[in-house]
Amino acid sequence: MRHGGYRPLRDYAIIGDGRTAALVASDGTIDWLCLPNFDSPSVFGAVLDTNRGGAFSLQPSVPFTSSRRYLPGSNLLETTFTTDHGRVRLVDAITLPDASLAPLRELARVVDGVEGSVPMEWSASPRFAYGASSGTPGWRGHVPVATCGADAVALMSWDAGSPSWRDGAVGASWTIEKGRRSIVALAATRGEPMIFPARSAIESRLASTERFWNGWSSTRTYDGPWRDEVVRSALALKLMIFAPTGASVAAPTTSLPEEIGGIRNWDYRFCWIRDSAFMIDALLRLGCRAEAQALFWWFMQATALTTPRLQVLYRLDGSPDAAERILPLDGYRGSRPVRIGNGAVAQYQLDLYGDLLETIWLYAKGGEHRLDGDTGTRVAEMADHVCSIWRQPDAGIWEVRDEPRHFTHSKVMCWVALDRAIRLAEEDDVPRAHVSRWKREAAAIVEFVESQCWSEARQSFVQYAGGNTVDASLLMLSLMGYGGERNSRVLATVDAVARDLQRGPFVYRYLNDDGLPGSEGCFLNCSFWLAGALARAGKVADAHALMTDLLSRANDVGLYAEEIEPETGAFLGNFPQALVHLSLIDAALAIGEAEQASQGPKKGKASA
Amino acid sequence: MIELYRAAIAGGLLGTVVMTTILRAASELGLTRMDLPFLLGTAVTDNRRRARIYGHLAHFALGLLFAVGYAFVFDATGRAGWAIGMGIGAVHASFVATTLVNVILPIIHSRIGTPETGADEVALLEAPGFMMLNYGRSTFLVTLLGHMAYGATVGWACVNMS
Repeated sequence: MRHGGYRPLRDYAIIGDGRTAALVASDGTIDWLCLPNFDSPSVFGAVLDTNRGGAFSLQPSVPFTSSRRYLPGSNLLETTFTTDHGRVRLVDAITLPDASLAPLRELARVVDGVEGSVPMEWSASPRFAYGASSGTPGWRGHVPVATCGADAVALMSWDAGSPSWRDGAVGASWTIEKGRRSIVALAATRGEPMIFPARSAIESRLASTERFWNGWSSTRTYDGPWRDEVVRSALALKLMIFAPTGASVAAPTTSLPEEIGGIRNWDYRFCWIRDSAFMIDALLRLGCRAEAQALFWWFMQATALTTPRLQVLYRLDGSPDAAERILPLDGYRGSRPVRIGNGAVAQYQLDLYGDLLETIWLYAKGGEHRLDGDTGTRVAEMADHVCSIWRQPDAGIWEVRDEPRHFTHSKVMCWVALDRAIRLAEEDDVPRAHVSRWKREAAAIVEFVESQCWSEARQSFVQYAGGNTVDASLLMLSLMGYGGERNSRVLATVDAVARDLQRGPFVYRYLNDDGLPGSEGCFLNCSFWLAGALARAGKVADAHALMTDLLSRANDVGLYAEEIEPETGAFLGNFPQALVHLSLIDAALAIGEAEQASQGPKKGKASA
Repeated sequence: MIELYRAAIAGGLLGTVVMTTILRAASELGLTRMDLPFLLGTAVTDNRRRARIYGHLAHFALGLLFAVGYAFVFDATGRAGWAIGMGIGAVHASFVATTLVNVILPIIHSRIGTPETGADEVALLEAPGFMMLNYGRSTFLVTLLGHMAYGATVGWACVNMS
């Protein structure tokens, strides 16, 4: 059911090819697709404006119900429509290129008649430049095309009716019989002549795309609990890695709201330094060495221009420009503004240094890679930089648009940066010249955190020095090894976060004012962080129960948005979000290890 | 005499660099989807990467060849220079847009569809259309500009390098 033309965010699934991604609703409509890349302007953007955004529907023209799944071990989405006339199966995929001459991007929609004889219809209304232009509709022979400057799309169909243009939309209706197959495909290009693939080529690419995903997922080296959910998360994350550079988007969407009708609508189609440590850790532990290496080198290349200073986020091509602007779109269910670009790029956040050095440390140790001399020198420069800046206030992990503060998490991450630099120096990966300074400053940070960020009254670390509330980022302390294994203050903080911020299985990131009007849902990554923190605290049964509950809150195809509304279970925020799936993997690994450790020797992380 | 043709070849190399840069910039600016090296390369291979390499090689080879033709006109008329080169470039562009790419290339290029194309077994490249307007409304202007710059460069080289 659509609400004013909008489906619930929970209703979407993602398909992609490692360069772009589409959101497909359970009614067979594609409401989001940017071409040719994740961060290009949308061609279908109805999820942000049902009137102007453009959409690509394919569904029965009679009342229907639908169910769906990903084909096993793949990112091919199968939707089964059931009607009074019979059943049809729709498989959607963005195909991967093969050795033949393929379109720059190709979206294939294959319809199989399963039962009876079902009236069907498809309609595509491409709207270029985030809905600003419907382009020039036309024909190349019998193929409908729409062109707009350097961009063009062709809508090709076989046994799917006779298409015609009407009011900027092309479509057709037909009836599919049991045992028959119809195909509708979108071939897109930018800056070159269009390529019109043959039906056999599309079917061949669809088959090879499924084989690729099956091969990729079957070689993931995870044998812990909840394997299906972990592998689904890995498949979703693989879709969010921009293959041409190795960078990873935080989510493939922009401005899906954190509150319906609210203003907390952000563009996540960038690569955040913060996600990097989680991503590298997950990739290495799931056996994705090639992806981990590509991401690592992307970080080294992207940060080269700004080093030793780091930006919060970078574009997928590694450039630092991410200026924010507002689009004249209605927004999802009236949630304005719709932003592209991200103003957080200009924020001052200290925790980034810990995130990046943790990434480098994980890469060097977990992947058994030696750092080259240049990287080692840059690590040393960053550690020196951290020594100079850790005493300054910042915007913190949550990128609050309020006044800068001395956030506890930021200070701890500065300690992480120095701790990892020291460890790398001890392994001769980093020049040792300033190690004694790093040790001195690391000790000063610990002294600051223990004296200024601990509340005797609350018996917990607090959000910022002198504050009296907790913050879900404090759950990261145990993950980062702050205070050593089973540190009593860290354990007490986990309890305090659960007590103050948990609602059912969900955890708010904080409840105090952050300088922005409106409210937000519970951040799902915080919920998975709590599950991981409980496991690391030795509360394995609690962690297991929480994890089981959280996994039951995924949508029907195993995906999560950034946030969830605790009362209704409705998804909020950009979808699907990489950090949530990374946190899911981390929590599953932590619980698996904790359960294993209860039967064998315990494993520890770096400690203060 | 030989110096004129040698200078024309040097000018052809420079002119092709200038023209390729103009065409590429126009593409990046969203003015056209015409990609001559891609069109030429896909005539011999369906591999995208190889097509771009072969296409650029062919484009530069043609650039040198056409420069010899320009020199022949300079030699025959007894006049040379950037202005007359630019004029020949304009004629050249019109020939490319109306005949060479629009009519002849689809006949020899197995992957560009023609009215006779009926098979459904190979991927087809979008045909350029009259004046190559299928690739964008500004395509002819961009082509004209690129070829006039090419002709001016060849004409300048024939005067100053021979």
